[in-house]
Amino acid sequence: MRYVKWTALALLVLFVASFLHYTLPQHDVVRIVGTNTQRMDLGENTWFFSAPDTGNATTIDGNRDVKFIEAIYPNGKPMVYRNEDTGWGWPPYFKVNSFDIQAQATDLTSTEAAPKWVLVTHYGWRSQLFTIFPNAVRLKQVEGPDVTVIPWFNIFFFLMVAGIVFMAVKMWMQFRERTIDPALDDMGEAWDGVEARAVAARKGARTNVGRFRAWLRGLGQ
Amino acid sequence: MIIGFLKLAIFGLIGLTVVYLLLSAYSRSVQREELEKRFDAGDGDGPRDAYIEEGMRDYERGLRKKLIWLVYIIPTAVFVAVFYGLNFG
Repeated sequence: MRYVKWTALALLVLFVASFLHYTLPQHDVVRIVGTNTQRMDLGENTWFFSAPDTGNATTIDGNRDVKFIEAIYPNGKPMVYRNEDTGWGWPPYFKVNSFDIQAQATDLTSTEAAPKWVLVTHYGWRSQLFTIFPNAVRLKQVEGPDVTVIPWFNIFFFLMVAGIVFMAVKMWMQFRERTIDPALDDMGEAWDGVEARAVAARKGARTNVGRFRAWLRGLGQ
Repeated sequence: MIIGFLKLAIFGLIGLTVVYLLLSAYSRSVQREELEKRFDAGDGDGPRDAYIEEGMRDYERGLRKKLIWLVYIIPTAVFVAVFYGLNFG
């Protein structure tokens, strides 16, 4: 039983952690080397793509054109971002400017000889196995590959979560103290009354069956 | 686009209303408890119930109750800021 409990707990933590890791914004400093748009026939990886751009028809039949941004990390490793609207859906980035970001990305394209370093804010994962890409939500040109980025949003987010949990606990304690406990006390008093009557009736009865019936009647009173 | 936005707005409103109701119930409960404690500590005269009801009437008119409206205002402001900053900033 203990193993079941710990496994369930570990799975839950893993699930929440990966959910947050996928959804919260992250920052990369990269050199953009190209942009393109290509048709994707989405299958098992549909979940890791957004809906069609806001304003378009929302019938999702799993194939559409998706904008991509190709980039190289300072260490030479490649990275590819998709560039899709999230619109009003999940995750709540409310991004509707994917075409503008594409134009900006094309503008920031550079070569290894004369690199322009770009801070890409994105969410999501790159997986070659499933052909999924992180979604770039913001581009900003920076001085060099070593800039320090403070994840303000994530700091704020976790502080807020801590605040909400704290409030929820306080509210629950107040509810228990003021509403549940008094109700339980009332019930306890009512039950004591029932017991007292049953004891009195049982004493008056002669046989076991009679005592049992008297006890049942006591419950009903 | 309009449908998607309305969906977000309506479900957001429902969610925030739940939070608003829970917070107002909590705030009222805290206020009542405080009034009870204050009376029991010897503050106020006359019957206990009247003292508490009077205090609750003051609370209903007071600033703290109005501050609970921030439940609606803050998320809406954050939404507008994020939407504008990310797309057009």
